[in-house]
Amino acid sequence: MPETIVSDKKAISRVKLHIQGLDENIQGGVPEGHLTLLSGAAGTMKSSVCFNVLYHEAVAGKNGLYFSLEQSAESLVNHMVNMDYDMRRINLVIVKELSDLKTRMAELQDQTLGSLIIVDIGTIRKEIHDVNTDNNKSWLNVIKNVVKKIHVEAGCPLLVLDSLSALYVLSRFENPRIELFYIFEYLRDLRITSFLISEMPLDGSKYSEYEIEDFLSDGIITIRLTPFRRQVVREIAVVKMRATNCNNDIFSLEFRNGQFQALYGGQNPLL
Amino acid sequence: MFSFNKSTHHHKGRILEKWVFDAKSPLLSSAAAVDIDKDGKKEIIFGTRNGSVICIDEQSKKKWQYDIKEQVEETESFFYDSDRIDSVPATPTIKDVNGDKLPEILFGTELGIVYCLNNQGKLLWKYKTQGAVRSRILVEDIDKDGTAEILFGTTAGKFVILDGNGKERSVIEVDGSIESEPAVSTAEATQLIFGTESGTLYSYSPLGNKLWEFKARGPIRAKPAFGKLLSEQDLVIGDTTGMFYCLDLKGNEHWHFITEGAIYGQASMADLNNDDELEVVFGSCDNKVYCLSHRGEKLWSYETDFWIVTAPLITDIDNDGALEVVVGSYDHNLYVLDGEGAYNLDYMPGLSGVAHQAGHYTSVMTSEPGAQVGKRLWQIKTQGMIVGCEELEKDNIIVNVKSGFVDDITHSN
Repeated sequence: MPETIVSDKKAISRVKLHIQGLDENIQGGVPEGHLTLLSGAAGTMKSSVCFNVLYHEAVAGKNGLYFSLEQSAESLVNHMVNMDYDMRRINLVIVKELSDLKTRMAELQDQTLGSLIIVDIGTIRKEIHDVNTDNNKSWLNVIKNVVKKIHVEAGCPLLVLDSLSALYVLSRFENPRIELFYIFEYLRDLRITSFLISEMPLDGSKYSEYEIEDFLSDGIITIRLTPFRRQVVREIAVVKMRATNCNNDIFSLEFRNGQFQALYGGQNPLL
Repeated sequence: MFSFNKSTHHHKGRILEKWVFDAKSPLLSSAAAVDIDKDGKKEIIFGTRNGSVICIDEQSKKKWQYDIKEQVEETESFFYDSDRIDSVPATPTIKDVNGDKLPEILFGTELGIVYCLNNQGKLLWKYKTQGAVRSRILVEDIDKDGTAEILFGTTAGKFVILDGNGKERSVIEVDGSIESEPAVSTAEATQLIFGTESGTLYSYSPLGNKLWEFKARGPIRAKPAFGKLLSEQDLVIGDTTGMFYCLDLKGNEHWHFITEGAIYGQASMADLNNDDELEVVFGSCDNKVYCLSHRGEKLWSYETDFWIVTAPLITDIDNDGALEVVVGSYDHNLYVLDGEGAYNLDYMPGLSGVAHQAGHYTSVMTSEPGAQVGKRLWQIKTQGMIVGCEELEKDNIIVNVKSGFVDDITHSN
């Protein structure tokens, strides 16, 4: 279903990032159905920020899909539990076998809680040895088909792909410009609000591997690590956000009392 | 000085849509038009993305439909592109392969199965290979034993040769997926020639010995075409980086021509301007159709509004004794172009202000006064992006469009 034209800016529905201090600066959130690149180096809490969105939306009753291409589902969930996310407030579904997908989706029909579905591609890859991926069979197709199936059967409006860098390793892209265009269009056609994690070098010299992703995405949020005296602080900025009047200032990103917060936008933190 | 050549051809009439057939599925390639039941009338046969092969008559009435029903194990099915899993990507090939004097219908699928149907659309046999069969199947008697062989490439890098009953004769393995239709040259020794996604054009003998290879700049999807250009028989082919090559039959380059877009369609050749030499016509995803001389010099080009992925047809559509170039574009239009092009003046002597200024000899005066350009005779809007054109009669073109319609476009006085 393609994006429709609205007559009033208030008619643009948005998905909150659930980052206190930042949502207020992007008109309340990311427009529904948009593709947002979340770019940053290792240790910038990209996965946590994305999980945070799906968790809070699940608490509010929405289903979300987290595609982990490298980190195991257990490792991811334990990390989030350690950050005091209460998994009893949501229906956590972990998919480790493709043949299980139909059954797991059927179980969702009876759920009253919002579901956070983690598809653990790393484990699935270990389980599947006998599928020979040649040119007409690929892990990229697995991702596309699973996203579509869960989106259609479970009414899942949110997606996190962790990460694009892992996807490039998994699926050989011979012509990234064309192939990425079709992937982005595929997600856009599904009208699924997507957060695509992009692992970038520490110097922040670019937002994505091929840089075409910057143009194809509707929004770019970057997180970087900045040395401050003998400490390292995380800084978050919205570089681009289509259909949004956004504040492009750099904010300090902190996680306090089980809540992400964006502080000191455009200002130096108090020494 | 230049002079005006009075055109000896009078292009009369118009082109119009005779009928439209709704295939109810996207189409990926052109139809084949062959009289399969020997009743003196051609049938139109094409494959669909949803996994059917449909046969209609010249009036668009459906004669039969064959639906592919392959089961794929659930886990494995996730690895295929769900939009293409049942698709018939290429034009069916219609030839008698089993010697019964009636043509059979052969086509490959994304699941890597080659089907052989009889002329009533009933399955005779099928053959499973590794990878998808995305290009058209070639039927040719390559060993001159009086029976046809079936040749095709797969995306798993296998070039397969079957006998007429679907039994495997040999498999040649190459580096790179094969998505281009093979061609056979019999000019000197028989050569099986096909391109790969790794950008190599291979030539093999019927016994599977590599004769030569040519490295193109990028992946090759088009089918080679043969013609007498600079030697008795040369080969022309484009790649998806926009390069168009002319080679001899030993794989040596005669010349190349650079376009700005990918070349997917086979080139067509004919003597369009009565100079006793063949001209080469092909389309590119830079939106243009090009006409080159046998030496690779551009004679004319014509720009449409979107990609051209189909092979141009060369035919005398208006029956005036001169050849026209018929080409479909992704801009939804079918174009009929004058085979000779036209001379387009940059200025008009006697009317140009520059020419009348005494003492001024500008570059306008000293350079070429104009250029040969493509000349559009007719243009008609079809139902969508054109993925293939096939000649039903010389004044009647079957156009397949991506959104799932088959248009019959005809010339009328």
